[in-house]
Amino acid sequence: MKNKNIEHIISLSNDLRWQIGDEFHDNLAEGIYADAAEIVKDAVHKKDQINKLRIDARIDKIITSKTWGFPLMFLILALVLWLTIIGANYPSSMLAGLLLDTLHPALKGLASTIGMPWWLDGFLIDGVYLAVAWVIAVMLPPMAIFFPLFTLLEDFGYLPRVAFNLDHLFKLSGAHGKQALTMSMGFGCNAAGVVATRIIDSPRERLIAIITNNFSLCNGRWPTQILIATIFIGAVVPTAFSGIASLGAVIGIAILGIFFMFLVSWALSKTVLKGEVSTFNLELPPYRPPRFWKTIYTSLIDRTIIVLWRAIVFAAPAGAVIWLISNVYLGDQSIAAWLIHSLDGFGFLLGLNGVILVAYIVAIPANEIVIPTILMLTVLVTGIDGGAGAGVMFELDSVSATGDVLKAGGWTLLTAVNLMLFSLLHNPCSTTIYTIYKETKSLKWTTVASILPVIMGFVVTFLVAQIWRLLI
Amino acid sequence: MEVKPKSACETCPQFNAEGLKKLGVNTSEFDHVIALAGNPNTGKSTVFNALTGLRQHTGNWPGKTVTRAEGAFEYNKEKYKLVDLPGTYSLLSTSEDEEVARNFILFGKPTVTVIVVDASRLERNLNLVLQILEITDRAVLCLNLMDEAERNHIEIDTRSLARDLGIPVVPTSARYNRGIPELIQTISEVAKGTIVCKPHRIKNIPKNIENAVQKLSEEIKKEYPEIPNSRWIAFRLLEGDAHIIELLRTGEFV
Amino acid sequence: MNTYNPITALLIFFTISVFLYLLFRPNKGWFWLIKANSKSNGKIVVEDILKLLYHNENADKHLNINDIVRTLKNSDDLILESINKMATHELVTIESDMVKLTQSGSDYALRIVRAHRLWEKFLAEKTGFDEVEWHERAERKEHELTKDETDLLASKLGNPQFDPHGDPIPTNTGKIAKIKGNVLSELNVDTIGRIIHIKDKPDIVYKQILAENIHIGSLIRVVEKNASRIVFHSEGESFVLAPIIAGNITVSILEKDVVVEENLARLSILKAGETAKIIGISKEIRGDSRRRLLDLGFVKGADVSIDLLNPLGDPKAFLIKGTSIALRTNQASKILIKKV
Repeated sequence: MKNKNIEHIISLSNDLRWQIGDEFHDNLAEGIYADAAEIVKDAVHKKDQINKLRIDARIDKIITSKTWGFPLMFLILALVLWLTIIGANYPSSMLAGLLLDTLHPALKGLASTIGMPWWLDGFLIDGVYLAVAWVIAVMLPPMAIFFPLFTLLEDFGYLPRVAFNLDHLFKLSGAHGKQALTMSMGFGCNAAGVVATRIIDSPRERLIAIITNNFSLCNGRWPTQILIATIFIGAVVPTAFSGIASLGAVIGIAILGIFFMFLVSWALSKTVLKGEVSTFNLELPPYRPPRFWKTIYTSLIDRTIIVLWRAIVFAAPAGAVIWLISNVYLGDQSIAAWLIHSLDGFGFLLGLNGVILVAYIVAIPANEIVIPTILMLTVLVTGIDGGAGAGVMFELDSVSATGDVLKAGGWTLLTAVNLMLFSLLHNPCSTTIYTIYKETKSLKWTTVASILPVIMGFVVTFLVAQIWRLLI
Repeated sequence: MEVKPKSACETCPQFNAEGLKKLGVNTSEFDHVIALAGNPNTGKSTVFNALTGLRQHTGNWPGKTVTRAEGAFEYNKEKYKLVDLPGTYSLLSTSEDEEVARNFILFGKPTVTVIVVDASRLERNLNLVLQILEITDRAVLCLNLMDEAERNHIEIDTRSLARDLGIPVVPTSARYNRGIPELIQTISEVAKGTIVCKPHRIKNIPKNIENAVQKLSEEIKKEYPEIPNSRWIAFRLLEGDAHIIELLRTGEFV
Repeated sequence: MNTYNPITALLIFFTISVFLYLLFRPNKGWFWLIKANSKSNGKIVVEDILKLLYHNENADKHLNINDIVRTLKNSDDLILESINKMATHELVTIESDMVKLTQSGSDYALRIVRAHRLWEKFLAEKTGFDEVEWHERAERKEHELTKDETDLLASKLGNPQFDPHGDPIPTNTGKIAKIKGNVLSELNVDTIGRIIHIKDKPDIVYKQILAENIHIGSLIRVVEKNASRIVFHSEGESFVLAPIIAGNITVSILEKDVVVEENLARLSILKAGETAKIIGISKEIRGDSRRRLLDLGFVKGADVSIDLLNPLGDPKAFLIKGTSIALRTNQASKILIKKV
């Protein structure tokens, strides 16, 4: 009985919908706003007709002006990045000193006093602990500086204006202006950048922003770029210019990343993402003075700690794997050596080597441990002096000493250039991959976002290597 | 309809400061569920934080609170669970945010829905308010960002607003904790039924639609006499909301 | 590594790239072609013949076997075989070469038409595909949807009455709304009406109409009519069409007392400092985009002015109901305004 009546209601609603036609939604929306206007007429009195505070209008005029808009934007971005990279140096080395140089030996000492077997001690302390400590030391300080700065700009209301200013460029590649922000956020951390794409409410543009976020060089990769550029690029020019040359190379890589971001956005919007719904609108909220301490506190809690925690969760098993492959032997060589030898040929085609490829495979969880892993593996396979033993990641205090180890491993300028390119163009770290999956809830898009950059990395480094060898 | 006088003191007669305990994320047991709805950029999360003592960060953007945040406070020995819904401009569309907000107000059965609006952009915000008033009988309008409205020389007659909307209106500046005690007091009174709301219903609809809504809503009332929002269900049926049709069939929303 | 040589490596690489391109390039890649061909050809041909007969019989035209063979692109043998198969399954009857639909054949055809039009509606409302792609995609999809899937699709879309071209969508019981209207080319000067249907065939004419930005639901007023051209005003713009093209557009004539706003303009031409009233949103914006604009306050009667210009020219921020909302030019050009 009940069911019959409900079916009756539903079919009645279908009939009525047919009678009304497709204007229903328009009429309803207009009706509600008409009611709102009547109520407001009674209740709200405005003393004067200024729609906006003078000061707000004046800030807006400058921020979106033809002359000042863009220089101001680049200046602020450069300032934020500079503060992050320079400002993080000191706490980073302090943390490294504490976690790697003091606590690590202390733990080893403790392990030997209580008579822990060498494999357990190696697995836990050299593997798991060291990877986690490394990630914290390299990752925490820049994020703790970058995210609060970014959040302050966001709360003030500046970032929506950046999206507004840049939207046209992004529109040309089928993307949303807000992608400028998620991209900038990606310079801090790709996982955080992917989460930030929630601000893009158009499905197609959001997917584009998620998939291309990895082309923003993240905090975990800046140190790699700077180190390699200093050792190899700086060395080919006269000493007086080496600083500028290496800096230029790093910035060049970051800009190349932005170029790839636009290119891939365009290609995606024209092919696989063509059918996703695309809408655009952007609210420019009024300026509000941010509450400084509260913002810093919340951005530390909401962004930094969460991202750091995820990175640690993923880095721990990576440390274990790194230690295991260097200490478990198949016949007369370790798994690491075996992997390196089997990947050497492919690595050579890409202008890289087996060590680099193995390092990128085992260091998927965190880009921060790529360089320590490369150093450890280089020492392992070349048998030169240095390092702290199989499976123990390390870094050297002096840049030139690092260079010596790498050169002993057969590195050339081409290897360095291609490593820089590959560091830009490879799969996102597993934290980011996991975040992409959580945000898109789609295996398909997660796969695309993970595989696409690494294929591009193979193609680009391959082409560079062949052309380089032809010409030089 | 009684409108609370505007004051920022915690010693005013109605408010019992000792009875307030902010419970943070401890939402285990509660007597009332309070939903917090509003447009993006209205300081909704600031209100949420002020009520619960939490420090949720949500940026200056629509759609930041994608998942519902929950918190709690205790007032006069009754526990209130507070659910922060995603900020949306409307509840009529199909985006994920709106669906979360719409479904919670409709099926989560909050005791009271607090609608946070930006006092200097009242007209735009009323769009959402009027839609929510079609769904629920018990609501409180939190007229937030009063400080900004004052700077913009906007005066709001809260008495006439409350009369037109049929729900209590509380002016606040959550950033500075102004008006929060009054808001808590009003929420508790609406929750306990001391204040009875007579919510505004949308009037300016073309005749043919109004007739259709009337017809449908009567049929729905025949079937489910106890539901307060037959008109809203009728709106959704005319919109062709497959989810509502499904729930009507299973009778789950009663 | 003895055989390694950068040139060989590059050559191998380019060969592989070219091969992959040929295999996977959009639409014409071999992979897609093979995939399309492997899908039960027989069923598609049968359904295409049913549709062809249905549309012609609706226009009171009856086809013989020759007509069918000429119209469809498949091989003659396949078509003849299909027609015979259809006859044995009593979908059609063949009397001295004339092929006619039986009742069950007509029901089947109606189901395909329903699937096609619903899918077009779906593409228009729920996806971002361009208008010119809808028909072709629906042509493929109509053969894949089962009856249950079609019904589910219909209920998800809210059982729509018309597809985006204005064609009626048959209900699952086979009810079909009638289009009551006149062809644009036959309207008198000064007639006011609403475009209710645009024929999506032939393809060339349809694409030309789309290129002109003429859309279902727009109000029009005819201002000139002669043997060589039809001129009408719609949504603040003037359109000139050849009668043969205007013949593909159906208009329902409105009562004279309907106020058609003249002096309409588009929001995109508003200059800084000017204020305008919104008259409406063009029917060209549909689905989520339309709803979002309405929710943001771009409703009839709202005041709008420019809040901020952009250093790159696009988008512009508009002040609407107290808030600054940025819209791109292509959106703003679809919002109708009247300057005050």
